Amino acid sequence: MLLQISEPGASAPKAACKQRVVGIDLGTTNSLVAVVADATPIVLGDDPIVPSVVSYDGGDVVVGRAAIARGAAHPADTVASVKRLMGRSLADLGALAGQSSNHLVDDAGRMVKLRFADGRERSPVQVSAAILAELKARAEAALDGPLDGAVITVPAYFDDAQRQATRDAGRLAGLEVLRLLAEPTAAAVAYGLDRGTRGTYAIYDLGGGTFDISILTLVDGVFEVRATGGDSALGGDDLDRAIAVALCGPLDQLDGAGRRAAVIAARAAKERLTTAEATDLAIDLGERRVARTLTRAELATIAAPLLERTGKACRRALKDAGFTAAELDGVVLVGGSTRSPVVVDYVRALFGREPLCELDPEQVVALGAAIQADVLAGGSSDVVLLDVVPLSLGLETMGGVVEKLIVRNSTIPCGATQTFTTYADHQTGFDLHVVQGERETAEACRSLARFQLRGVPPMVAGAARVEITFQVDADGILHVAAHELTSGVAAAIDVTPSYGLTDEEVERMLLESFEFAEADLVTRNLRTERVEAERILAATAAAMAADPHLLDDDVRRATEAAMAHLTAVAAGDDYLAIRAGVEALDRASKPFAERRMNLAIATAMAGKSLATVEEELAR
Amino acid sequence: MRSSGPDPFAALDLPVRYDVDTAALEERFRERSREVHPDRFVGASAAERAKALVATRALNDAFQVLRRPARRAEAVLAGYGVVISDREPLEPAFLMEILDLREELAAARAAGATADVTRLAGTMRARQRALLDGLAPQFARLTGGDDAAVLATIKRDLITLRYVDRYLDECDAALDD
Repeated sequence: MLLQISEPGASAPKAACKQRVVGIDLGTTNSLVAVVADATPIVLGDDPIVPSVVSYDGGDVVVGRAAIARGAAHPADTVASVKRLMGRSLADLGALAGQSSNHLVDDAGRMVKLRFADGRERSPVQVSAAILAELKARAEAALDGPLDGAVITVPAYFDDAQRQATRDAGRLAGLEVLRLLAEPTAAAVAYGLDRGTRGTYAIYDLGGGTFDISILTLVDGVFEVRATGGDSALGGDDLDRAIAVALCGPLDQLDGAGRRAAVIAARAAKERLTTAEATDLAIDLGERRVARTLTRAELATIAAPLLERTGKACRRALKDAGFTAAELDGVVLVGGSTRSPVVVDYVRALFGREPLCELDPEQVVALGAAIQADVLAGGSSDVVLLDVVPLSLGLETMGGVVEKLIVRNSTIPCGATQTFTTYADHQTGFDLHVVQGERETAEACRSLARFQLRGVPPMVAGAARVEITFQVDADGILHVAAHELTSGVAAAIDVTPSYGLTDEEVERMLLESFEFAEADLVTRNLRTERVEAERILAATAAAMAADPHLLDDDVRRATEAAMAHLTAVAAGDDYLAIRAGVEALDRASKPFAERRMNLAIATAMAGKSLATVEEELAR
Repeated sequence: MRSSGPDPFAALDLPVRYDVDTAALEERFRERSREVHPDRFVGASAAERAKALVATRALNDAFQVLRRPARRAEAVLAGYGVVISDREPLEPAFLMEILDLREELAAARAAGATADVTRLAGTMRARQRALLDGLAPQFARLTGGDDAAVLATIKRDLITLRYVDRYLDECDAALDD
C-alpha cells in the first residue's frame, strides 16, 4: 500500500507542467473562453465572441456565426438563447415557449426538449454542450493540447436545476468542470478588485437573458458575497422584444419570419442607439412594412418597466446585505446589455454614483472565470471566493408546510440538519419533498425532488427519529441524505431536478413570501396544529388500547372527554382553539402517560417482571 | 425543529458570549476561510480535501448564526440548555397586539397608504432596536449561579423578536410595491 505523505497546511503539489485550464462564460447570447497566460487573463480567439447559437444539419452541428447564417433558412433547426431553457419544463416556460422559433415539447413535466425538422429530439443540455464543445475545440487549438479542466460561469440567481443542467452540459462536452462560478463574482475577480482593494461593491450584471445583482465585500483577496438577487429570465432579449412590440405590435400576430425580422431590427436599432441619439428603421413584415425613427428617449420609455424590475432586485439585495447604496464603494457594470446608455443612466440614478465599466463588460466574466480556474489548478492561492446560495432550501413537512433548512444568501459550502419524528404508529417510511424558494407552503415553492426513506423499524408514533442532512457544495448544488437515528437506516440521494419554474415565478415567489406572510402564518399555524392534534389523538388512542390496565376511571373519563373536544375543534379552522385542545389533552392524559413512561423505564432498566414493576408503581 | 448543531463559537475560536465586535467577527471569518477553504487544497489528498470541506461547512454555518444578533443570542442560550422551539407559546397580550398590528398593516397596504406603512414600520423598528439593545445588558446579568429568571426573560424577548422581524419584512414588501 502506498502512503501519501503531505505536510499539513502545505500548498497543493504542483503538476510537473502547468495544467491547461480555462474559464468559460456560457452566455444566453454570446459565449467566450479565456485563459491565464503569464499571470494575465486573456480571451482566446481572434474573434473571441461565439454567439450562443447552434444549428443542426442532419447529423452535423454548426455553432456560432455560421449557425446564425444558417438560421435564416432553417429556423426550426437553429437554436438561440438555449440558456433560457436550461433546467426548465415546458410548463415553466409559459409565454417564453410561444416566443421561441423552435418546436418545444413537454417531457412528462421534466426539462423541456427541442424537436428538430428531422423529428429528432434534443435536450437543452445537449444544445449547451454543443456550444461548450466548440469553445473547448477553440481553446485546445489555441493552447495546443487537451484541456485539463474548466470553470463555467452561471448566473448567481440560477437555481439548483439550472446549475445541475449546466454542469451536465459541461460533462457532456467532455469537460472536467472544476467549478460553477457565479457570473458577478467572476466579474469582481476580473476587475482586479483583489489587488489590495478593500470595500463593498455592487455588481450589476445585465446579460442577454439573465439579470444578477451581487453585493460583495473584498478584503485582502477574500471575495465575500454578502447578498445576491436577480431574475434568471430578464435580459437584453426581453428589451429587444419590447422594442419590437412597440414598433410592430404583438409578436404572436406575426409569422415566424416576421417575428424574426422585427426582433433583429429592434436589436440593431438598440445597438445603434448606444452611440446615436436617434436611428431610422425599416422592417419588412411581409404583408406590411414598418418605417420610422426611434430616439433614445423613446428607448428609455420602452426599457423603463424592465429596468424597474432590476431596481427592485437591487434594493432587496442591498437590504439583505445590510447596506445602503451610499455605503457602497462602487458599482460595476457587467454584461453586453450594460453598454446601452439607457441602462447606464438608470444604474447611475439607482445607486447615485457613476458606475465603473473600465473592463469590456462582455469579456469580464470569462476573464474572471479564467483566473479562478488558474487558482483551482494550483496557480495562485491568494484568492478565496465565498459565494452564496441564491434561494432558500427546505423540506415539505406534514400539511404542506415548508421547513427552511438553508436560508438564501448563506455562504457555500454549507449544511443543515433537521430531525423529524414518525407521525403514525408503525410508520415504516417517509416521503420527503425538497423545495427551493421563499414561500412557506411547498406548493408555492419550486419542487426540486421527491424521495423516499424506507425501512424505518415499526415503533409507536414519535419514537422513530429521522435526521435529514442538507449539504450545498461549492457549485451551489444540493445533496440530501437521510437516516433513521435509532436503527441507522440510511438513504442518500442527489437532488435530481423534477420540475422547474420561470423566473417570473421565482420573482413572484420571493415577493409573495413577503406579501402573503400573514396568510401563510395563519395557514401554517392551522396546518401545524392540525397535524399535532392528529398525532396526539392517534398516539393516545394507541396507548389506551395497549395499556388499558394503567388507566384509572377518572383519568380515562378526562382523557376521553379531551379527545372528543380536540377532535371537534380540529375540524374547525381556529388554530388557537386546536392548540388549546392539544394542551388540554396533554394535561388530561398526563397521569396515564407518566405511568406508561415509568413502566417502560423501570422495565428497561431493571429487567424486572412486569408484575414487580406494577407493584412498585402502585406503592 | 432545527438542531442547533455543533457550538458555532468553537468553529470560529470565539468565547461563548453574546457580546461580539462585528468587524472582528467578520475578520475572523475571513481569516479562518483563508485557512480552511477547499480551494486552498485542490491538489491535496482526498482526505485533506474532505477535511477542508467539512471545516468550511462548519465555519460557514457557524458564521450564519453568529453574524445575526438574535441567532447568536439563541446559541448562547443553548449553551445554558435553553432551547427555543418552533412552537413556543406567545404571551396572550403580545399575541393580541401583533394580530391587531398585522390587520392595521394589511389595511394600510390595501389602501396604498404608504405613510401609514412607514409609521407602523417605524414603530416596529424602534421595538426591534429596543429588544436587540436589551439583549447585551440581559446577558451581562448572567452570574453563573441561578440564572433561570434572566434566561427566561431573554428567551421571551427572542420569541418576540421573531414576530417583530417577520412584521418588518412585511412592511418592507409593502413599501416596495
